[in-house]
Amino acid sequence: MASNKKYWKSVEELKENSSIVEKLKQKEFVEEIPTDQFLGDKDSLDSSATSRRDFLKYVGFSTAVASLAACEGPVTKSIPFVIKPDDVTPGIADYFATTIADGYDFANVLVKVREGRPIKIEPNKESSNGSANARVQASVLSLYDNNRLKGPKAKGESISWNKFDSEVGAKLNELKENGEKIVFLTGTCASPSTKSLVNKFSEQYGNVDHVVYDAISESAVLDAMKEMYGKRALPDYDFAKADVIVSVGADFLGDWQGGGFSAGYAKGRVPKNGKMSHHIQFESNMSLTGANADKRVMIKPSEQVNALIKLYQAIVSGVATREMSPLNTAVQNAAKQIKAAGGNAVLVTGIQDKNAQLLALQINKAIQSKVIDVANTRNIRHGDDVKVAQLITDMKAGKIGALITHNTNPAYTLPNAKEFIEALKKTKLSVSFAMNDNETASASEYVAAIPHYLESWNDVLIKKGQYSLTQPTIHKLSDTRQFQETLLIWLGSDEAYYDYLKGMWNNNVLGGKSWNKALHDGTFTVPVANDEIVTNDIDISAAGSALSKIKGSDLELTVYTKAGMGDGQQANNPWLQELPDPITRTTWDNYLLISRIDAERLGLENRTIDNGALNGDVVNVIANGVTIENVPVYIQPGQAPGSVALALGYGLEGLQKEMSIGVNAYPFANGIFQNASIEKVSGEHKFACVQLQHTIMGREDEITKEMSLADYVSRPKDWSTAPKFSLDHQEVTQDKVDLWEKFDDTLGTKFNLAIDLATCTGCAACVVACHAENNVPVVGKHEIRVGRDMHWMRIDRYYSSDMTVERGKEEGSFGTGEFFNAQIQPSDAPDVSFQPVMCQHCNHAPCETVCPVAATSHGTQGQNQMAYNRCVGTRYCANNCPYRVRRFNWFKYFDNNEFDFNMNNDLGRMVLNPDVVVRSRGVMEKCSMCIQMTQLTILNAKKEGRPVADGEFQTACSNACPTDAIVFGDVNDTKSKVSKLEKEDRSFKLLDFVGTKPNVFYQLKVKNIKEA
Amino acid sequence: MSHYEAPIREPLILGDKSYHDISNDIAAPIEGKANTWWWVVFSIALVAFLWGVGAIAYTIGTGIGVWGLNNKINWAWDITNFVWWVGIGHAGTLISAVLLLFRQKWRMGINRSAEAMTIFAVIQAAIFPVIHMGRVWNAYWVMPIPNQFGSLWTNFNSPLLWDVFAISTYLSVSLVFWYTGLLPDFAMIRDRATKPFQKKIYSLLSFGWSGTAKDWQRFEEVSLVLAGLATPLVLSVHTIVSFDFATSVIPGWHSTVYPPYFVAGAVFSGFAMVQTLLIIMRKVSNLEHYITRLHIENMNKVILVTGGIVMVAYLSEFFVGWYSGSSYEDFTYLSIGAATGPYWWAFWALILCNGVFPQLLWIKKLRTNFTVSFIMSIIINIGMWFERFDIIVINLSRGHLPSTWTQFEPTFVDIGIYIGTIGFFFVLFLLYARTFPVVAQAEVKSILKSSGDGYKRARDNK
Repeated sequence: MASNKKYWKSVEELKENSSIVEKLKQKEFVEEIPTDQFLGDKDSLDSSATSRRDFLKYVGFSTAVASLAACEGPVTKSIPFVIKPDDVTPGIADYFATTIADGYDFANVLVKVREGRPIKIEPNKESSNGSANARVQASVLSLYDNNRLKGPKAKGESISWNKFDSEVGAKLNELKENGEKIVFLTGTCASPSTKSLVNKFSEQYGNVDHVVYDAISESAVLDAMKEMYGKRALPDYDFAKADVIVSVGADFLGDWQGGGFSAGYAKGRVPKNGKMSHHIQFESNMSLTGANADKRVMIKPSEQVNALIKLYQAIVSGVATREMSPLNTAVQNAAKQIKAAGGNAVLVTGIQDKNAQLLALQINKAIQSKVIDVANTRNIRHGDDVKVAQLITDMKAGKIGALITHNTNPAYTLPNAKEFIEALKKTKLSVSFAMNDNETASASEYVAAIPHYLESWNDVLIKKGQYSLTQPTIHKLSDTRQFQETLLIWLGSDEAYYDYLKGMWNNNVLGGKSWNKALHDGTFTVPVANDEIVTNDIDISAAGSALSKIKGSDLELTVYTKAGMGDGQQANNPWLQELPDPITRTTWDNYLLISRIDAERLGLENRTIDNGALNGDVVNVIANGVTIENVPVYIQPGQAPGSVALALGYGLEGLQKEMSIGVNAYPFANGIFQNASIEKVSGEHKFACVQLQHTIMGREDEITKEMSLADYVSRPKDWSTAPKFSLDHQEVTQDKVDLWEKFDDTLGTKFNLAIDLATCTGCAACVVACHAENNVPVVGKHEIRVGRDMHWMRIDRYYSSDMTVERGKEEGSFGTGEFFNAQIQPSDAPDVSFQPVMCQHCNHAPCETVCPVAATSHGTQGQNQMAYNRCVGTRYCANNCPYRVRRFNWFKYFDNNEFDFNMNNDLGRMVLNPDVVVRSRGVMEKCSMCIQMTQLTILNAKKEGRPVADGEFQTACSNACPTDAIVFGDVNDTKSKVSKLEKEDRSFKLLDFVGTKPNVFYQLKVKNIKEA
Repeated sequence: MSHYEAPIREPLILGDKSYHDISNDIAAPIEGKANTWWWVVFSIALVAFLWGVGAIAYTIGTGIGVWGLNNKINWAWDITNFVWWVGIGHAGTLISAVLLLFRQKWRMGINRSAEAMTIFAVIQAAIFPVIHMGRVWNAYWVMPIPNQFGSLWTNFNSPLLWDVFAISTYLSVSLVFWYTGLLPDFAMIRDRATKPFQKKIYSLLSFGWSGTAKDWQRFEEVSLVLAGLATPLVLSVHTIVSFDFATSVIPGWHSTVYPPYFVAGAVFSGFAMVQTLLIIMRKVSNLEHYITRLHIENMNKVILVTGGIVMVAYLSEFFVGWYSGSSYEDFTYLSIGAATGPYWWAFWALILCNGVFPQLLWIKKLRTNFTVSFIMSIIINIGMWFERFDIIVINLSRGHLPSTWTQFEPTFVDIGIYIGTIGFFFVLFLLYARTFPVVAQAEVKSILKSSGDGYKRARDNK
């Protein structure tokens, strides 16, 4: 229905007979608009600067530009879950038990996975092989290595897996028909399922051989075990049971026989009831083990052989050589100790010679050592040097049809690598299963890209009866395929390796127990029958006489492995490259270790230049018929005169530019030692050291506080040299005197961190764990060289000096420049102390008072906290820190091509811990006592409505420590381990006299020094 | 019979000047044209300044890492230069305020330039605490601005914050004091100016000074009050700067002798810089009659006294460190360890430049010699730079834990910024010399003896 209402549009309409209203009824406008005049006036239109055409052009252009600009929206490369998987909760970490078995490192680990990304490796403490060394801790970064192979290759060209399968399959069949030999050359393969697959393959293909090759061979001990006990496996040692440990060149706290002995060793290093183990080390280059020994005897490798023979004679034959030499005295003393301790003693040797190992086994047998276990052997080294040598001969002779390499890089690690590469060309088919384009992969015809162990299924038999599982923690990052999957395809099976593995376990291992449980635990222990130990009769005197024929030389060269680099598999891992070597405290390098005496004889020098960095001379090393050119020389205190050493694992090809450093020492990795000659060449090498002053300068009373067992037992409190102060005319210790008002910190949680210097071996696993947990940037060689390492924790290493305060006073030089310069020089045969140092979280923190913007302040739980967002970067706090633990972001360390490490690419950034912010340029950072971890623990306990249990609080370092030297916890909880440790006799605080009252405390090292 | 006149007081202004002569002499550089030398020196200074600006821009753009610092030595040239410039800026206030209160008339010939030097030096000094920050763009966070502004309240425990107040107070008081003194002189230039633009500028600058008795009375009163205010600042500024070190726990820094010793050192270096500038300026700007041998000698005496205090401080630092028997004191900047360690050259540069060479000034012949005084002033400037370098770098390089011992080497950026501030300083000073009355002519006229002396001579010669 239409409305009758009438609307008026202007007041005019109310007027009757308005002319305007009339007009408007007819026209739109009251007045005439001069449109005709305007449009018709051609002249004025022409004179206009903007013509109609131009106007349209402008409109068109601006519309186009506007729409183009609108198209370029910000692109975010993250895809949120459309449907959230049940087992992934953003912000909540999942842990998976898995096992690393890369042929060199074997360990049961827990993998922390956040939002589907593995971000950290932690030791699986509920397993028997759960200590993770620095390399294992760092292996998570190797997963996100940009340098990894992205797919299979044929003759250097990328191909598809289908093509790979058809081509290689056809060739294998051809070889099978011709009856030619197919050889698998792998690193130590401790996987029963893989072995069974290889066996199946050989059944199907006939002429198949499986040769195991370890880059760093333990063939000598394996052969000795085979000869003596009839099985080619590594004996196990429990150093916790040892009262006397004598090691002849065995770096058993390092990688000797697969490593993993430090936990047991550490148990015997804490004095209990006035007793602890006594450790004598005979060695040529300063190893981690030698650095921890009570007595270290510095001898050349050839003398080690000699020492071993003498030990044998003294212990087993009962003949003591009466030679007047310091070495003989030391040997006879060691023999005496061993004999006295009987079954509680053990002798280990790292001499890579079957006869030497036989002697060692025989000695341990003779004393009925309880430390060694030859029945329950370890399964983590299988390499057979004889077979490998035979294989290369066969290859050269053209007898090998196909060589399939897996998990090994012989073209790099073989001393005769060139020969191998030439011989490889004579095979009809060469396939390399590799993670990256290493030397062997590039020499092989086909390269099959394999996944990282964090992307794989597998099983591992680490020790007799101790089975472990490897499970993927992330979907494969690129187009890779496991060796085992490929084997299954070659066998014509369409079974997935997971199913095969599960079937194998259900049938052979689990014995009806739950697969899921085994997978959850990561390990499964099968009870083993106590076999009768069958001992073969062996001609030990023949072994001895063979050994005694070994002649020394003027300069004996050995190769060794570093805690960070190992055999070099993870050389492209910047965390490991930047990890300071525990002994030399040098990063990003390998170098020829030489004694001061030899260096002076050969005119070689190390120099400190103006910015404090170290420079060294460069030499050519000639040994084993090979010359390695331009090797930097590092003068190592404690290196036996007449011996030099070079670390393995460097000088690889095909790495990222920054990581391509050092020289390849594998050409020298042959036999016990090499007779070497070195010649100085022109040039100067620039080292990147994190510690430039090596002695403690008479300050040990406030810094490391070591004492002998005898002193500790007789005067247990005497080491406590806390200064005396006067308070109200009473003499009190320093901790009673305070200028500051104390606030009540007895309520709630108060964190303390205890570090036991007696059990800390300096292995550096904690440093890598901290690096991974806290998103510490890698800064590269140059920045380390100029003193800008970013590690939140470091392990200081001190050598003793020949010039002590007492000696200086005796000689009258005390207090002079001459005295100080002598004090700075480390001894040629130094005692070594390690001391992990991180932020001490001082209750009276000097850093906190000086910050103008209060960016660093104290938390109620005792932490000294750093608010990055508030920091303006005056660096005053770092200057005022007596411990020098603060780290400044001198540059932007992420997304910066100058620092092309993991934080500069999308793949590498996946390892970052989302709970810890990445610091920007210009701010200070430092140890936070892993506050992200402690807060999570508190919140979880709160949610579950229970108090936090002791041991639940962990930091990355305390969790990683294989010897439990680092203990973290709440001291307000009087039942906690850390509060008990705090009250122990051995506890002290670093630089106590400064009055900083740290929340980190140390326990002094006791050395079991026995004078011969 | 003429009345008795004491013959001891030498005239402070030579050359038989009349009041008009003084006006002419002081206004000459402003009214005349710059000579070639001025342009040459100015160009060099400007280039150095621009280089410094470039180096600062590079630092801010890339990160503090372009300097030679490391995680153990977190300060080096930056704070060395800061303390050095602040120290130089000390002489101005001492001359204008303390000497005014002590009625030392000889200060009138030099106070204007000394104060100008102070202000320019403090400007240089202020650059360093700002640019040494890792995040310069947040530098205003050190200001106690109410929380509503968003930058949060500051930490009043920090000596760095005390610096902020000490320096800004000092700069503002010095500036006001200097400007007050300039008013009658600007008015003199204004009155003489012939070009309209110049006249306009100087009438603005002179704040309408009319020269009435009331003006003069107020002028005198303000000067006295400001002198009273500024005198404590002479002590406070460097005391507070020394707190940066003295309140810390680092061996060599943690020292109670620092405040008086720093103040003496600052006056020492400040007078040396005044010497350097004025010995050149009296030649270049034809001020030989106003800045005389007497001025130079007096300043040398101040240098000798403050240098002596500094030397005593060195000796006590050295002795107390040694006497403590603490091994942590064996490597501080004044110790045997430093004298024989890698920084031996810096140690000996300090001892020779500040301790040994200035002792030559005991000899009257040398301290009244312009060339010797000039060379000595340069030596002292170098020595005082080394003092700060030693305090910062040597002490930080030998910390508590021997594992953290290291060394420092400057990069071209460190050097560039330092040279840049020297350039900036001279750019300011040269501009000042061309546009400001460089001698406080109004005050100088008050000590001119020509009125009486001239007539006396005329009478005697009759």
